Amino acid sequence: MEPAVVISNLEVLFFGKAVLKDIHLSLWPGRITVLVGPSGSGKSTLLRAINRLNEFFPDCQTRGSVSLHLQNQYHGDIYQNTIPLSDLRRRVGMVFQTPAVLPFSIEKNITMPLQVTVGLTGSALTERMTRALQEVALWDEVKDRLKSSANTLSGGQQQRLCLARVLALEPQILLLDEPTASLDYKSAARIESLLLNLKERYTILAISHSLSQTRRIADRVCVLRQGQLIQEMDRNDMADIRTFQGLMEAAF
Amino acid sequence: MLKINPPEKWIETGLFMAAVVSAVAIVSILLLLIYFCLPLFSGNGLSRVFSWRWQPIDGQFGILPMCAGSLALSILALGIAFPPAIGICTLVHVLSRGVFARIVLILTHFMTGIPTVIYGFVSVFVLVPRIRSLSEAGTGFSLLTAAITLAILILPTIVLVCYTRLEQLDPVLRLASAAMGFTPIQQMRHVLMPAATKGVAAAAILGLGRAMGDTLISLMLAGNAAQFPGSLFTSFRSLTAHIGLVVATDSQSLAYQSVFAAGLVLFLLVAALNLIIRKTDNRITANAFLRVQETRHEQNF
Ligand SMILES: Nc1ncnc2c1ncn2[C@@H]1O[C@H](COP(=O)(O)OP(=O)(O)OP(=O)(O)O)[C@@H](O)[C@H]1O
Ligand SMILES: [Mg+2]
Repeated sequence: MEPAVVISNLEVLFFGKAVLKDIHLSLWPGRITVLVGPSGSGKSTLLRAINRLNEFFPDCQTRGSVSLHLQNQYHGDIYQNTIPLSDLRRRVGMVFQTPAVLPFSIEKNITMPLQVTVGLTGSALTERMTRALQEVALWDEVKDRLKSSANTLSGGQQQRLCLARVLALEPQILLLDEPTASLDYKSAARIESLLLNLKERYTILAISHSLSQTRRIADRVCVLRQGQLIQEMDRNDMADIRTFQGLMEAAF
Repeated sequence: MLKINPPEKWIETGLFMAAVVSAVAIVSILLLLIYFCLPLFSGNGLSRVFSWRWQPIDGQFGILPMCAGSLALSILALGIAFPPAIGICTLVHVLSRGVFARIVLILTHFMTGIPTVIYGFVSVFVLVPRIRSLSEAGTGFSLLTAAITLAILILPTIVLVCYTRLEQLDPVLRLASAAMGFTPIQQMRHVLMPAATKGVAAAAILGLGRAMGDTLISLMLAGNAAQFPGSLFTSFRSLTAHIGLVVATDSQSLAYQSVFAAGLVLFLLVAALNLIIRKTDNRITANAFLRVQETRHEQNF
């Protein structure tokens, strides 16, 4: 199988200072890759390199290449404008570290992006919204208050709403920046099992700060330190918790 | 208990005094206007002032044409200024945030400092002849001429208030909508503008108030005929210009007294606009408050 994302020789600089350097990484469909590393090591920046969101910030430079292979179609290096920016970002969905709900109703948070970027209307729209909310296990909590403001949801509910919003757009690649950071144990477990279900359909790159979570969901773990990928581990390395902890401690 | 040290106390007293003085000033202006209008309430003064004919020689002192003129002028000016103001905000907020945006903003700031008379003056030479040739009949001093010039005058106010509100929005909104594949225009239309509705409305009403209160532009460009502004190309007179013209030429008759009625109407119109701004504010905060209460309940049960 072809990797969906091939990052090679990636370097990202903010104000002339390298935040990521010499990154080589491939992501395969059907697998969850988890990115771990100390705070400030460049995890979020690496995620944003895949949907070109770093360009949003002032004085950011990106070198190297990120090529995509989506649904049997090769798109080449996204930094060579081989794919329109808005298409790219719709196919590469991202959930932020802190939930970024729009200041509208719960319903509109999901339907408006679908209307604007996909052009969906009518019952198809409601259907997709319902499905997305059910997938993230939020439907029962919000089905009676779809019209109330998304800002009234709790932090964990907001995070699930953001995940639902991304899923509704049906991307092919999912970038998740600590998707369970603000969730309680139970909702975190729900999201984890959701991710395990989703991985059949998506290529997933997630950031996690929890080693136990990483062990539960990751097919592969990449350790980032000071902007460089210093180690990769697969399921075999994680099988034994002692070995895994030893490897992680060595890495951090 | 916190102990308040003397300088802080003085500052507090000073600020309190200033607030009292401004409040008293505004209330006395209103009372004074009402006092001067009192004679109108005796006899049939009122019906003579609030009528459609201003012909002092025949004893007709109606200010309604001027009220209509002021309303038509300010609404038209806002209508002309608002779309480009939103366009400029979009340009500097989402389309180009670099040097170009900074230059546009500096120019906009600069525009607020240009004396009104310059706009009027330039307009007399540039705009009036063009409007005249456009309308065939008429002098070119018309509703449209004054409204276009006034639109240029209030444009920077609207742009700056809008822009400030947009900049106050959480930057995550833009980032999140960009990450979903929204183009800059879509970000503005579907996320940023709706999120800043309150600010955009406040900017528009502020612009309307500024247009309504302006005197010089209409005095110089409207032609000042005391008649109903029936078309874009008719000459008309605004309330402000009316007050200026009458006060400058007369000081005794009912004409002079009717000026106070004009002042009162103007004062009340502008006060109403301010109230509307406050109302939009309050309604939104009240809604937010209710929603928070609502969720509290849901969480409790
Ligand atoms: N927009 C920006 N402008 C300037 N520097 C930035 C910007 N974004 C990130 N950086 C810098 O890049 C480095 C990596 O940041 P990044 O957010 O990718 O870290 P992270 O690994 O996600 O950390 P955390 O676990 O705390 O979220 C940091 O030193 C940060 O200061
Ligand atoms: Mg981060």
